[in-house]
Amino acid sequence: MIEAKAVNFAYHRGEPVINDITCKIEDGEFVALLGHNGSGKTTLSRLFMALVHPRSGDIFVDGDNIEKLEPADLAHQVGYVFQNPDLQILEDTVFAEVAYGPRCKKLSETAIKEQVQAALQAMGLENLADAYPRTLSFGQKRRLGVAAALALNPRTLILDEITNGQDEQEKDNMMDYLQKLNKEKRITIILITHDMNIARQYAKRAIVLNDGNLVFDGTTQDLYNGVRDLKEWGLTQPIMAILSAAFIISAPTVEDFCEKLCLKEGGER
Amino acid sequence: MKITAFTQLITVLAVTTWVFLLPVPAVAIILVLELALLLYIKHDRLTMAAIGALTVFTGMMILLQLIFGSPLSVSLTGGLRMFVMTTAFLCLLAATKIQDIAQALVEKFHLPCEYAFMLTTALRFVPDFLTDSATTLDAQSCRGYSNRGNVFKRFYSYLAVVKPLVMRAVAKSDTLALSMELKGFGANTYQNMTPQRLCFADYLVLFLVMLLSLYPLWSKYI
Ligand SMILES: Nc1ncnc2c1ncn2[C@@H]1O[C@H](COP(=O)(O)OP(=O)(O)OP(=O)(O)O)[C@@H](O)[C@H]1O
Ligand SMILES: [Mg+2]
Repeated sequence: MIEAKAVNFAYHRGEPVINDITCKIEDGEFVALLGHNGSGKTTLSRLFMALVHPRSGDIFVDGDNIEKLEPADLAHQVGYVFQNPDLQILEDTVFAEVAYGPRCKKLSETAIKEQVQAALQAMGLENLADAYPRTLSFGQKRRLGVAAALALNPRTLILDEITNGQDEQEKDNMMDYLQKLNKEKRITIILITHDMNIARQYAKRAIVLNDGNLVFDGTTQDLYNGVRDLKEWGLTQPIMAILSAAFIISAPTVEDFCEKLCLKEGGER
Repeated sequence: MKITAFTQLITVLAVTTWVFLLPVPAVAIILVLELALLLYIKHDRLTMAAIGALTVFTGMMILLQLIFGSPLSVSLTGGLRMFVMTTAFLCLLAATKIQDIAQALVEKFHLPCEYAFMLTTALRFVPDFLTDSATTLDAQSCRGYSNRGNVFKRFYSYLAVVKPLVMRAVAKSDTLALSMELKGFGANTYQNMTPQRLCFADYLVLFLVMLLSLYPLWSKYI
């Protein structure tokens, strides 16, 4: 559980970047954090991870105020996955790479082995345990990044634009793994993304930032109802949402939509 | 009035010799002039930070010398000399683009183009490297890296930050080398520089520099 109470933040002596944000993310939720470039998404998530601390206001992780903590203290509660996996690759095998976190926490070798294997499995990397991390494909490296965060068994995962630059198949692949984590292990997912389709398809709840202000906090269904004008926040309705609204068919995917549309057309004829 | 990179380089080199040649009061005057010049050219946060860091470093140097038994006056003048020398370079960097400095090195000091190019390229890596290192530090600390504990522990765990950075730099320089080769680097046909011409201000400054550099010759007549 992550909770922000009246949080304000600015970098150095610059303009305020986060303005008086209050929100609460419960265990097991799948939240999309949305907003235009520079709206403060990354900054808010960095606040959650204690990478930066608020100017005023408080942040609670699992009920504890994190103002005196540093990221390493939170690593077993919240996993943070960065955009560029290359900048953290350290070891010569995928297994060792994922084991870095548990090793820092000084877990026993058996516990390390167990947790690493579980993390690799959760991201579909179990066959690559002995591979050299730098030679993995881009998508695999991204999943490696998630596995590395998962290895500490966090209750929450924060993912900052990790589907950027991946092909559709690899994107779906990644999102399916994340959905499985959310459904089966009840891991809270906070997904920062510019991809409205992904947000609509996978997230239950959406939080929208606009110039550092929280302007929307509700279900993705409500946000993407096909008619709400999202331009002022720098967002757009996904095409599927517009179609769904126009044809009064609720469907998560294109295939689903086509099927239901055919049924409907058939019925009318 | 602007003087060329060549003159600036000569002046900086001269200042570094004056620091040892001229008497302490003169060096102190140079320092005041330098600081005024530096703040005139540029007074942003970075400049202030550089001056601050330099001051702290100089203070430490003086302290170290004192600890190792140098007399106070010697340590103080040592510190002053270093401060003046470094500030001269700060002025040079604040006033002139690295490209101009590199060009002056090639044209006037006949440094091979390749070396000048290496200098500018290397310096271009610096800001990239700084952002990369911040990101790596963040990424590893989210996985449990922490710089707590004694010096050895800290040093050992810091390898987790250094290693990805080094690998990254190696990969980057690989790409750079390849792309340079593809663009024909090494063919030695660089022709797109407008030569830097010396003007009156340059000759004036160069004359003053020469005059001051000959101080030991005329000092006994005053
Ligand atoms: N390290 C920093 N120092 C100073 N200002 C920063 C820093 N990082 C971000 N900012 C500023 O804070 C504001 C919010 O940035 P942030 O990165 O949180 O936005 P974002 O929503 O993640 O954008 P994007 O979608 O482009 O990633 C921007 O105006 C940005 O210029
Ligand atoms: Mg961002």
